[in-house]
Order: sequence, then C-alpha cells, then structure tokens
Amino acid sequence: MGLKNVRARLLPGVLATLLFLMPRLALASGGAPADTTAWWVWVLGLFVFTFLLGIVAVIAGVGGGVLYVPIVSSFFPFHIDFVRGTGLFVALAGALSAGSPLLRKGLANLKLALSMSLIGSMSSIAGALVGLALPEKTIQMALGLTILGITVIMFLAKNSAYPQIGQPDALSKVLQIYGIYYDEHLKKDVDWQIHRTPVGLVLFTLIGFMAGMFGLGAGWANVPVFNLVLGAPLRVSVATSVFVLSINDTAAAWVYLHKGAVLPLIAVPSVAGMMLGTKIGAKLLTKVHTNVVRRVVITLLAVAGLRALLKGFGI
Amino acid sequence: MKQETVHAEKVQIAYAGILAKATTLGIALVVLGYIVYVFQLLPLSVPIDQVAGNWHLRASEFHHKVPGAPSGWSCFSQAGKGDMLSYISIIYLGIVTMMCLVVAGFVFLREKNVIYTLFSFAQVAVLVLAAAGIVSGGH
Repeated sequence: MGLKNVRARLLPGVLATLLFLMPRLALASGGAPADTTAWWVWVLGLFVFTFLLGIVAVIAGVGGGVLYVPIVSSFFPFHIDFVRGTGLFVALAGALSAGSPLLRKGLANLKLALSMSLIGSMSSIAGALVGLALPEKTIQMALGLTILGITVIMFLAKNSAYPQIGQPDALSKVLQIYGIYYDEHLKKDVDWQIHRTPVGLVLFTLIGFMAGMFGLGAGWANVPVFNLVLGAPLRVSVATSVFVLSINDTAAAWVYLHKGAVLPLIAVPSVAGMMLGTKIGAKLLTKVHTNVVRRVVITLLAVAGLRALLKGFGI
Repeated sequence: MKQETVHAEKVQIAYAGILAKATTLGIALVVLGYIVYVFQLLPLSVPIDQVAGNWHLRASEFHHKVPGAPSGWSCFSQAGKGDMLSYISIIYLGIVTMMCLVVAGFVFLREKNVIYTLFSFAQVAVLVLAAAGIVSGGH
C-alpha cells in the first residue's frame, strides 16, 4: 500500500521533470533551425510517440487531441501551425472511429449534438482563422494558459453519472432534446432530459472557438458542459461529445487545409499512431491502475502548458 | 434484471451505418496513400527532404519556400503524384462527416422533422462553405 502510494506520487514527478528538461535537448518548435536528423527518424519517432500517447489518453479518459498539441509542439521540430492542423485530424480520426457503435447503442444523441455543433462549428472556423493569423508567441502564451486551465478542470471536475434536473427548459423541449438509453451498469433503461440549453449554446460557441484556435479536440470541455451544465447523464455526455467534436473539428480542419497547415508526412503517422494506441489502451483499461495514469496525464499536461506559456514569453 | 434494449432512433442507425463504412474506407485510403508517398511508389511534387527541411517554418513561410507542396484543393491538379495522393486521403477524412449529415438530413426530411432537417442541411452548408474555402480563407 505504502509502496503503491510512493510510486503514484513519484511517477508523475519524474515524468514531469523529464518532460520539462528534455525539449531543451531536442529541438523546440517554432523558429528552430532545420536540423540534420533524417526525416524518417522524426516520422518514426512521431508514430511511436503518438502510439504511446494513444494508450495513455484512453486509460486516463481524455481525448488524444488535447495531449497531442502541447506535447508534440514541445518535443518535435514541427512548427505549431502544422501541429495544430494535425491535432484536429488526430481528434477527428478518433471521433470518426468511435462514433458508429455509440450511435447504434443510443448512447450518443444526434439531436443534442446537432443543436450544439451548428453554432460551435461556425465559431471553430473563426477560431482557426484567428489562430493562424496571430503571432506565434501570442498563440504559445494562449495555448499555455488554456492547457493550464484544462489541467485545473481535469483535476477539479467531479462528473455526475446521473445528474438530477428539475424541469427541462423551454428551448430543449422545442428542440426535442431528451432520450432514453440502456445503462449496462444499472441494468435498466435511463430516461434523461436537459436544462439550461441557452447557456450551453453560449459555452459551445466558446469551446468551438478554442478548439479551432489551438487544434485541440474539445472532449475536455464538451463533457463537463453536457454533464454538469446541461444535466445529461455522463455516458450520454461522453458519447455525444464525440459527435460535436467530429463536426467542429471538421469545420476547423478545412481552414488548416486551405492555409496549407496540414502535412501528410506529419499527419498520417500521428493519426495512425494515435488510433492504434487508443485500441491497445482500451484493451489495457481493465488491467492498469487508471488513477495513476490519470495523475501522470494531468502532470504532463500541466508541464506542457507551463512550457508553452514560457515559450510565449520567450523564455 | 432487464434485458438490454436498443433505443437508437432511425436517423442514428442510418448515420452510424454510413459513418462505419466511410471511416473504414478512410483509414484504408490514408494508410495506402502514405505507403505510396513515403516509399515513393509514384513521383512526388516536392521531395520529402525538402518538406522535412522546412517543417519548422510557419505554414505561410513554408509554402513560400516550398511552392509545390499541397494545400487546399490544389492537390487534385496533380493527383498522380505520391504526396498529393496522401493529401487527398486526408481531405477525404474531412468529407466523411458531411456525407453522414446529408444522410441524416434526408432521414429527418422523410420523418417530416422540420427543425432537424433544417439543422442538418444548415450544418452541411457550413461545412461545404468551409471546404470550398469561402469562409475558411481558401483561395
């Protein structure tokens, strides 16, 4: 027990120190000179790295996109423009792969997703345009602050499996947002409805903007808003988040494609590594201590956020 | 103990069907396109070394220095090149959601659900405008 506690506290600390120091040895992105390492070393390294990231992401219960951008932009020599463009495709590919069974089981709700994504996709296009127009240092600073904010949300958010809401709001009734699903844990059908729909629309506008601006998948924000603000059950929130993400990220991805910020040389190994890692991670899910992994991921995110922030200040 | 019942609506089943097929095809295309690219089974429009030598630059500077690199829909003008083929496979991933939404829109239309028919086609319109480069800074 004692040894387990020590390991759980020590591991994130050791990894955090390594992450903080190692990019100083490797090439940092943005303005770094062209290096002499063969291209295939970086590409192979990227595949292995995203494969590991995929395993860790699924065990920690986060989307790969949110880990990909801050960590890859710290470790690899690619400009953050290309990392953000690829980050959207990493998140999009994961969402597309996960989507079909979630819809068939009735866990994801298309009406809830469509209601939120219509405005979210427009704001993600705006976010991507702004993100690609801003100076690099400003982006690094804003990314650092956002990642640190996500770390706090992940650390503090206590999702509610079955939120109790009073009355559904008028807008959600007009939009026919309610549903029923079979809960494998409770072994019974669960009816659900939502409230505070207008607040949700405002929040999804902001989330879409940030997802587009930083190339992050936005599951870290979609799920708490669906669950804690709108009052959807956790399973419905997680599943529906996948569809909002696939629509918003598609919209923003086109901006990056048109601005030439997607390179197949970087994007394909990232997408393939992350998808393969996610599949392995899902199989390992029952065999590893998820709390330790989650703590490691939160620590990695905090350090990556801090590094981005320091880079933004030119430190 | 209650037996599992599936509560998915028709539109969700239709969306899931097209999504599963389109995604499987997408993954196959992405992998095949990349093999053709990195093993140079077809000629390239830009040598890989030149891409790797400039990937530390901002996207705008990169394309200034490497003018033939794929961007937006320009890849279709040189679809016979290995790197363009890989790029086209990535573009395909950006089209999958649109295809699914079109199917969902028609199912909603058949069910006479006016609100979600409008939502689905409005969403497709936003994505088509982005893909066309009209609202996404394309040329």
